[in-house]
Amino acid sequence: MKTLFQTSWKLAPVLLLMLFGTAVTTRAQGARLQLDQLDALANKASETVDVRLDEHLLQTTAKFFSGKEPGDVDVREVLKGLKGIYVKSFSFEKAGEYSQAEIESVMSQLRGAGWSKIVAIMSRKEGENVEVYLNTAGDLVNGLVVLSIDPKEFTVVNIVGPIDLEKLSKLEGQFGVPELGIEKGKTKKKE
Amino acid sequence: MTRRLSIAGLMVAMFLGARGPASLARGDGFNDAVRTIEQFYHVKHQNIPFLARAGMKAVGTAARIKGGDYKRLAEAGSVRVVFFEDQNFDSHGQIASFKAALQNTLGAEWSPLVQTLAPRDEEQNYIYVSAAGTKFYVLVVTIERHEATVVQATVAPQVLADLMKDPGEMGKTLREDATINDN
Repeated sequence: MKTLFQTSWKLAPVLLLMLFGTAVTTRAQGARLQLDQLDALANKASETVDVRLDEHLLQTTAKFFSGKEPGDVDVREVLKGLKGIYVKSFSFEKAGEYSQAEIESVMSQLRGAGWSKIVAIMSRKEGENVEVYLNTAGDLVNGLVVLSIDPKEFTVVNIVGPIDLEKLSKLEGQFGVPELGIEKGKTKKKE
Repeated sequence: MTRRLSIAGLMVAMFLGARGPASLARGDGFNDAVRTIEQFYHVKHQNIPFLARAGMKAVGTAARIKGGDYKRLAEAGSVRVVFFEDQNFDSHGQIASFKAALQNTLGAEWSPLVQTLAPRDEEQNYIYVSAAGTKFYVLVVTIERHEATVVQATVAPQVLADLMKDPGEMGKTLREDATINDN
């Protein structure tokens, strides 16, 4: 028994290190929303798009944007440091086929610590309600969420990692990020 | 000393166990996907007698067997293809259940990259990626009302990078490259 306690004590630093590693990962992933609950909407939607690009994939492929094509360098710079791009988009034939509860399941997460809504965001698309949320810790941006809510369409874009609206605009139409039509340069942060 | 090693081993095993069996065992995504389609839709795939280890040549051979107009899969190290033709793919309003079943079967080692579903037309496209050393395995599952295709290809990271720019088109590009011959 004595040996068990002695061994456990010697292994304590290793276990602490493992716990610390888990905590760091958890914090880095703090800007990632839980969106799996929306999957049930696929049965009602006329079209569903679900894109998941994780950190390993982004960082492994980022270095291959070598500048052969216009915009490659910009894309590589934007991808650098990103931990994930997650998009879920649902289109419906009729209005009202998704409920407030589904929106609330996302919004409730955005009321958590670190999230703030960027107000005065305008979409070039008529009638579309686009909301942008930033997850920050001090001056550090951990991630961003764009919600596009329309009676017949519901889209959530969740980018985890250092990102801002200017960088976001460079990803629009690529990597599964839809054309959001966000007007830049008219933003202020709501506290 | 033996006891200490046993305790240390037990702790390591507990840690690894907590990470889940999927991170330890490597399944065959291609066969798993084919089996899931067969079980969910009660269909049978058509056997094409090839395993395209030689890549392009074998795809060409399969193309000739199938009698279609086929193109080789550029840059691919290996390609596996299965067709389901003239069968009924009706999810009975449970398309999300098929999506979940496929994900559960493939496990954590296959990352879902892109999934597009159109239940009214029974159209589904799934792209999964798994690490294959310095390359990637890409698994493409395409289901329509009366046919389906499963393609697994090994692609270089630079090819994947190009395809990732437009994930919506990635499945179509890979499927057409694997099954259409322009000779």
